[in-house]
Amino acid sequence: MSEGNGGRSAAGTRLNDQDAGTRGSKDGLARLNVLAAIRHGDILGSILLTMAVMAIIVVAFGGNPWTVAKTIINNSLAEEIFLGQTIMTAAILTLTGLAAAIPFTARLWNIGGEGQMFAGAVVAVTLGIMLPAGTAHGLFVLILIAGAAAGGAVWGSVPGVLKAYFGINEIVTSLMLNFLAFFAANYVVTVAWPEIYAQLQSQEIHDNAHFPDFWASAKVDVSVFIALAAALAAWLLITRTSLGFSIRSIGANPRAARLAGVRTRLVTVSSFVAAGAAGGLAGAVTVGGIHHDLALDLWISNYGYVGIAVALLARLNPMAVLPAAFIFSTLRVGSNSLQAAAGISSSFGEVLIATFVIMLMVTGAIRFRYAQH
Amino acid sequence: MTEVVLITLFGSGLALMVPVLLAALGEAISEQAGVLNVGIEGTMLFGAAICALVGVNTGSVPLALLAGTVTGMASGVVLSALYVRRGTDQIVTGLLFNIFALGVTGILTAQVIIGNTSPTLSPWTVPLLGRIPKLRDVLNEQNFLFWISIILAVAIFYLLRRTWWGLYVRAAGERPHASSSAGLDVWRLRYTAVIAGNALAGLGGAALVMSTSGRFIPGFTSGRGFIALGVVVVARWNPLWVVAIAGLFGLSQALQFVAGLVSFFDPVPDQFWLALPYLVTVAAVAVSRGTRYPAAVGIPWREPAAEARS
Repeated sequence: MSEGNGGRSAAGTRLNDQDAGTRGSKDGLARLNVLAAIRHGDILGSILLTMAVMAIIVVAFGGNPWTVAKTIINNSLAEEIFLGQTIMTAAILTLTGLAAAIPFTARLWNIGGEGQMFAGAVVAVTLGIMLPAGTAHGLFVLILIAGAAAGGAVWGSVPGVLKAYFGINEIVTSLMLNFLAFFAANYVVTVAWPEIYAQLQSQEIHDNAHFPDFWASAKVDVSVFIALAAALAAWLLITRTSLGFSIRSIGANPRAARLAGVRTRLVTVSSFVAAGAAGGLAGAVTVGGIHHDLALDLWISNYGYVGIAVALLARLNPMAVLPAAFIFSTLRVGSNSLQAAAGISSSFGEVLIATFVIMLMVTGAIRFRYAQH
Repeated sequence: MTEVVLITLFGSGLALMVPVLLAALGEAISEQAGVLNVGIEGTMLFGAAICALVGVNTGSVPLALLAGTVTGMASGVVLSALYVRRGTDQIVTGLLFNIFALGVTGILTAQVIIGNTSPTLSPWTVPLLGRIPKLRDVLNEQNFLFWISIILAVAIFYLLRRTWWGLYVRAAGERPHASSSAGLDVWRLRYTAVIAGNALAGLGGAALVMSTSGRFIPGFTSGRGFIALGVVVVARWNPLWVVAIAGLFGLSQALQFVAGLVSFFDPVPDQFWLALPYLVTVAAVAVSRGTRYPAAVGIPWREPAAEARS
């Protein structure tokens, strides 16, 4: 089977990883000599292609590719403090990755991970400041986590409901809700609880709402367990429950699923709610775990969008999201030191991640199959 | 008082319409050919960044606009190689392209542009319409890109709805299999549409730089490409309706500038006005439910022969 078809079909699609076939030699791109060695579906080939593109970009901006590579590895894994950052960022990316992976399994394009994260962060910071400072530590943290997940779930349910009951394309609505959540956060940060000593960030949440440390010297806290638990829960949801079966069947063929009695509307909303909850937890991690306040520069970290790349690298498998998030977190955190060490802006991390996933698609290592009917 | 408010509202509303309009026209072309270009935001970013870069270094506005458009075309070449030639998933590829563009333009800003300002377009006095009172105050505020974008909308309407090429493109977006059987080159039609569409998006990004401060900052387009995705749906892929709907979004963006002039709006926080265009997009897309995307949008097309070989 090939992934193409006559185009008459609905957009029902399925990730297809079995047929890394022999078509490569006939494809125009693979016909180029340079690429002749790269087999169809080859992950090593994608890595080589990515490194080639990155080297070109680095040289174009006057950097040294070797220095860049060394800096990224050294400043993400080699020292305790960097490793801690990498682990915490991986926790965030796991959660935003799940926010993409769960609905993507049903071929529902939740691009609202960013907004769901912000919704969770807004709820977390609100609770962290509004609740009495004397609330018991464990209870306070649990309330923060539950509140952020609920906030993200509510935010995520909007495109789900619009899609399920009104047939409205979820791509546009989930994207727009990202911006709406950002402006809600903007309101919280500049009007509701502004920090007097710094711009564009909120007051700090009460001490009792801070997530307890787990590895204090590396500034790693219990957020790691939130991410692990969420990935496990998502894996159980997708592979071991009837809702998960419905999600997968809609992804495989929405029409067949509906005819077989799957309640597509309910499943659509549920998968968006689950995704939103995961995104909201990412917000809880940034507020309760890392920063203890809400800063608007969270927006330029693009955790929500990078989460989509994580989900794809994991081939939408919730357990695989964990290592995928760690890999991309390494690249992200390592890139933060590039400006000082190699004279390249830290945005390089995003470029690297995006290029790698695009190359995985170019070589066919990640593929979507389009259902025929 | 009311007059000042209305003139400001429409004057800046029409100016803010232009980038979204150009991008939405580009998106309409490519979607009619069956390619959903979510990467339009990234193309706009590239167009805007390169436009600012060329503007800063040469001081020439026409050259900067040209550079923005050519950058858009180059993005179109890359994207069509992915979407059309390789048949990668359009939504996911587009999203990743946006991340890629955010990153590359971020590096460009940090290394090369560094807050420098390019010269910008000045308003252009319209010959005949520019003499009508009241209307004059609004229209003479606009630079010539406004007029170009309107002319382009009409031209693209004609091209898509009144020429053979337009019919072929729409056929490729609705029934690629049948089109191919009828002897059309679906790939070539889609290449052309995606490249032309991205050129317009690049120009849209350039227009954004040239109509504002001449400065580029990371994430400069702030979702205008995504808004264009919504505009196209609401306008039902009709380029003339695209003008009207993009105009509506321009006005909703312009409200933030007039809100301060009307005391009635005082209790409303600024963030509401900033968020309004995105809210309007969600509302408009919701209201326009029942619109149907071209049937083959989002689905890569492979030649039947190639399919048989595999």
